[in-house]
Amino acid sequence: MSKREDSVGHVWQHLILIVMVLVTVYPILWVLTVAFSGQQNLAFIDLPADPTLGDRLRAIIPWPEQVTMSNFVAVFRDQPFGRWLLNSVVVSAATTLVGVFLACTAAYAFSRFNFPGRRAGMMSFLISQMFPGTLTLIPLYIIIVEWLRLGSNYLGLVLMYATIAIPFCVWMLKGYFDTIPRELEESALIDGASPAMIFWKIILPLAKPAVAVTALFSFMTAWNEFILALTIMDKESMYTAPVGLRFFVGGFAEQQWGFFAAGSIVAALPVVVLFLMLQRYLISGLTAGSVKG
Amino acid sequence: MLDLSKREILIGLAVGLLLGLGLMSLLRSAGSEGNRQLAVRQTAVVTAAAAADAVAAARADTTSIQIAAERMVDALPLLQEIRVVHIDSRQLEASTVAEDDQGGFPRRLGRDEKPWYDLARELRAAHLTNVAEAEPRKDEVLVAEAADGRLEVTLPLMEGDEVGGAVLVEVARADIALDSPTGVPWWLLALVTLALGSVVVWFVPGHWLRVALVAVLLIAALFWYGSSGLDALAANRVAAETAVRDGALTVQDDLRSVVANPAALDPVDWAKDRYGRPRGFFDAAGTVGAAAVRASYARDLARFQQAFTGLGVIALALAAWVGLGWTRRTYQALVQHRLAYGFVLPAMIGMILLVIFPFAYGVVLSFTKQTLYNVNQPLWELWIGLDNYIDILSDFKVRAASDVGYSINFNNFYWTLFFTILWTVSNVTIGVTVGLILALILNAKDLRLKPVYRVILILPWAVPNYITALIWRGMFHQQFGVINQVIQIFGGEPLAWFDTWYTSFFAVLATNGWLSFPFMMVVSLGALQSIPGDLYEAARVDGASRWQQFRYVTLPSLKPALVPAVILSVVWTFNMFNIIYLVSGGQPAGATEILITDAYKIAFEQYRYGYAAAYSTVIFLVLLTYGIWQNRVTKATEGA
Amino acid sequence: MTRSSWLLIMTVAAAVVVPVLASAQTELVVWHAYRGREKAAFEQVVADFEASQQGITVKSLAVPYDAYADKISAAVPRGKGPDVFIYAQDRLGGWVEAGRTIEPLDFYVTPDISERFLPATMEAMTYQGNVYGLPMNFKVLTMFYNKAVLQDPPETSTELVKVAGSLTDQSARRFGLAYWYSDFYYHSGLMNAFGGGVFGEGRDATLDRPENVQSLELLLQWLNEDEILPAEPSTSLITELFNSGRAAMVFSGPWFMAEIGEDVDFGLALLPRIDEAGGTRMKPWMTIEGAYIAEPSENKDAAFDFILHLTDTAAATVMALEGRQTPARTAVYDDPRVQEDPILAAFREQVEYAVPMPNFAEMTMVWSPATTAMNSLVRGAASPEVALEQAQEDVEARIASLRK
Repeated sequence: MSKREDSVGHVWQHLILIVMVLVTVYPILWVLTVAFSGQQNLAFIDLPADPTLGDRLRAIIPWPEQVTMSNFVAVFRDQPFGRWLLNSVVVSAATTLVGVFLACTAAYAFSRFNFPGRRAGMMSFLISQMFPGTLTLIPLYIIIVEWLRLGSNYLGLVLMYATIAIPFCVWMLKGYFDTIPRELEESALIDGASPAMIFWKIILPLAKPAVAVTALFSFMTAWNEFILALTIMDKESMYTAPVGLRFFVGGFAEQQWGFFAAGSIVAALPVVVLFLMLQRYLISGLTAGSVKG
Repeated sequence: MLDLSKREILIGLAVGLLLGLGLMSLLRSAGSEGNRQLAVRQTAVVTAAAAADAVAAARADTTSIQIAAERMVDALPLLQEIRVVHIDSRQLEASTVAEDDQGGFPRRLGRDEKPWYDLARELRAAHLTNVAEAEPRKDEVLVAEAADGRLEVTLPLMEGDEVGGAVLVEVARADIALDSPTGVPWWLLALVTLALGSVVVWFVPGHWLRVALVAVLLIAALFWYGSSGLDALAANRVAAETAVRDGALTVQDDLRSVVANPAALDPVDWAKDRYGRPRGFFDAAGTVGAAAVRASYARDLARFQQAFTGLGVIALALAAWVGLGWTRRTYQALVQHRLAYGFVLPAMIGMILLVIFPFAYGVVLSFTKQTLYNVNQPLWELWIGLDNYIDILSDFKVRAASDVGYSINFNNFYWTLFFTILWTVSNVTIGVTVGLILALILNAKDLRLKPVYRVILILPWAVPNYITALIWRGMFHQQFGVINQVIQIFGGEPLAWFDTWYTSFFAVLATNGWLSFPFMMVVSLGALQSIPGDLYEAARVDGASRWQQFRYVTLPSLKPALVPAVILSVVWTFNMFNIIYLVSGGQPAGATEILITDAYKIAFEQYRYGYAAAYSTVIFLVLLTYGIWQNRVTKATEGA
Repeated sequence: MTRSSWLLIMTVAAAVVVPVLASAQTELVVWHAYRGREKAAFEQVVADFEASQQGITVKSLAVPYDAYADKISAAVPRGKGPDVFIYAQDRLGGWVEAGRTIEPLDFYVTPDISERFLPATMEAMTYQGNVYGLPMNFKVLTMFYNKAVLQDPPETSTELVKVAGSLTDQSARRFGLAYWYSDFYYHSGLMNAFGGGVFGEGRDATLDRPENVQSLELLLQWLNEDEILPAEPSTSLITELFNSGRAAMVFSGPWFMAEIGEDVDFGLALLPRIDEAGGTRMKPWMTIEGAYIAEPSENKDAAFDFILHLTDTAAATVMALEGRQTPARTAVYDDPRVQEDPILAAFREQVEYAVPMPNFAEMTMVWSPATTAMNSLVRGAASPEVALEQAQEDVEARIASLRK
């Protein structure tokens, strides 16, 4: 019964997905057009006088007049963009590890233990996201560079990014942990497992989908950040990819949108790869885990 | 032996007294030390001004400046050295320091003497600024700490209306001792109060009555000590100004025999404020105007009063905390739940360090009138209490008059607040709806090409939004944008998207919706995995329709993960600076600004840091109100 | 050469070298926002300096422009910044007012030094009568025209409207003239031609003065009646229009050159005389990049030697020819290689008809209200008087609260 129902429904589902894919991809195709055009201008449509319908249709399809890799080559040749990508990978990976680990432990405590200050603690993570960052650059600079002496250091960035990412991770994971039945742990406790064992061996494996989501989120938090990275790094070799990208545009200087687009495409690739890796955890952790438990 | 609750009451009282009275007494001594320092500095200014007058007089009648300067140093015991720097000639015109003499004066300044020259330049610029602007704001009398505890006073050397140079004077600190504010020492008051408290605790029956009486005792002690302190400080200030007058009169006496025209000596003029104007706290007859001194001190006193009140409240709170046994209970909770706290602690430390400090900095700043022009002044001098908040919240000019009758004043705070809320609600609604629908579709078990769809649909999140936002902006261009081309293909008229606020809103909304749905989709995908399949099985057996399954199985199970994501999206979208800035830029006429872009402009275009901090705090309070409300409604912290 | 002049040279050399040797290795840090060719030229100039000095090394750091000013404001007052930094004059006043950021240079900059530069560029480095930097280069708007479309650039506004009108075909989206007219910076050319401006005595705002109204009326005439301009201009749109031959003339600055496609044959000309303003030429605001010494620097003497080197004729020539800058140093334009360069020559000519953009902090407060005014004007939502009145009111309030 269910089999037939699904195959009928899939037509509609594919239809919706295809429409969404088109909407999603269209602006990105323009980015690709700029990146592969070998030119430096942002794309605008080009139309003859008194355009026909055909002219108009052709104009709105993003495709460069010529396809060349020259923007991509220039991005890597004229500056240490590879090095900057590597810095970004290091910082983002470390942020992900630190952020997800700290968030897991905290979320576990919030979910499983009943202690005074639990609600206040959860709220404080939420509240920490509410104060606008307008004037926080100077105090952050004082803490990271003057007090902790972590200027031009990966650790300074990782610390800041992890702090930015943790609140969401804690809330997401806590919500997820709440749905895992306590019976699993209780039976393990009877079998003589320690709390740490239970956390590592039972809870974490079951929470894989949520961990995957928070990992992606932490990674993205660090991956796209620009102002903090620029402010605390005093060596060009320590810049991250978003900082490097901003060299191409801004100020009273030429705007190299072609380079910027090419760099942006390159910068999006690691995220896609990471998502491909994490995607297989986005299947129900619960059914897989309950069998083991 | 006293029982536990009585002991705690007494300990609480002791803590409150120690903290409240102790810190108040520290503040009192700081205040009177401040007054003493003021007297010392002003005496130095008086001395220096007398010397500068002599130098100026010597320059005017072309007698030797060097001789005049030396004569001054001989006559005035406090005066140590004088240097006279001239700007246009870059010369040291005179100096009483032996090492400076390299074969007579005037001589050209050397490279290591640049700081003196810069001081003269600074005074010239300050004078220009103060003349140009209505209110003076730059110091025309500079006082700095020099080596050996001396003070270095720099005064302008006027040439007509312009500052031609500077007189740099080193003055020893005058040995001034003011009558310290007398009264009962704080520790004695504390002991007496504690003794009274013991009596109360011993004899009065009933826990809460004891607590109330002890609280009254504590408040009385704090209040009495604070208010007597304020009186003492005011008296102390008058004494300080009297000491300055004494110094000025002494200088006058010392110079009578030295200068050619003793009648021209003008002690009232020597007592200059930071802008070079006579302070006027004593007159030519030498009478100190106590009322004027107190009036000028009123603002400082008000700050002391605020500080005393604040300290009193904190002391009272702490006393209550300890006295009612909460300290003990907190400690016990810490011990009992140490495992849980241990789990939470590492994440908390980062939060406290990197969130609380900037937050506190911002809140403190919001009570000041700090701007670019006064960033170097200490914050307490710029303290204006709630003025910034009153300014922001009392802006009720929602309507503006224009050529064609009335229209909405888009710069009004409440319009911006309304627009920000509209922006947030629409965005989150779109993000959650689209994200959730896609996640539900993508969660189907045997959907083909699922991984491909998923990867493509997260692309808006993956590509740096700086460029995609600008591509979207380009798509909305009136003549060259894709959107208008599509409209024309279907026979419509092209629109000027950024000319009216609702079309402009649509443009930013479309952009941000496109950027934000992938996040919600991924979160929903993750959350959907927490629903055990047998729940659906059971529902199906009960004959539930698909909609009923979604309504009664899927949605409730999604809640624990989805609610936090929604709350946080609201918070982030509320403060989403980039998209508005890049796509609409606030067009038209600031109608599509949101609160955060306004705050940013106040800080970085108007350089009003205090006001911007208050604005940020208001944003925070709005969000906090929302958070508390949302939490009530969904019981998000409780879990499912 | 006589013996005595040799002796003199030896003495001078000794005077320079000996103290440097004594202080062993000095490291100067310099921050800039250069990229590409400009960066390469700058690094060459830095290397030349290191070679000419003993015991001084220079480390340069390129910082993307977008957050460069914030980085300076955060780092320099805390003593964590560079010894020397390069920035346009627009932030100068603000940094001086904030303190602990920029070292005053009057002591070093004797008249023989300040005379080396175009007077307007030196004026941009001066705040409240004090000099804070040495000017490196200027950026000024001028006219670019596409030679495939237009051979003789117009000399007056009347000619401009005529020529541009004949080249414009709104339905085909071809325009005689394109520039970012809705941006206040780009409008400054017209505004100054009419003798307008934003500040009067005492740095008080004067946005609503009648000259400014006149300049906006002329712009509206070009836009709505002569119809020679495209709608919703932006830098990227204008680049696209010019490169595809759909804009015959463009008002833009030196940065535009790098954006012009390789196959476009273009020429440069002075901005036109405005007949409506009695034949005065358009006088755009110019930005001047200066080299400043950070106040907390511990190597100020070496830092000054360095910025002297950056602005000397040889270095400025390298920056002009290799880095495509338009130097503030006048002697550079006597170099035959520079004289033969039509682009550098054109900008040098335009600078005679340009006004340095005000360098005080109050200027920053003008942009946002002025932008709002320009936008509502272009949209037809307000008349020039009303738009400027509103802007004036806003700017006055902002300045008052800054000085409060």
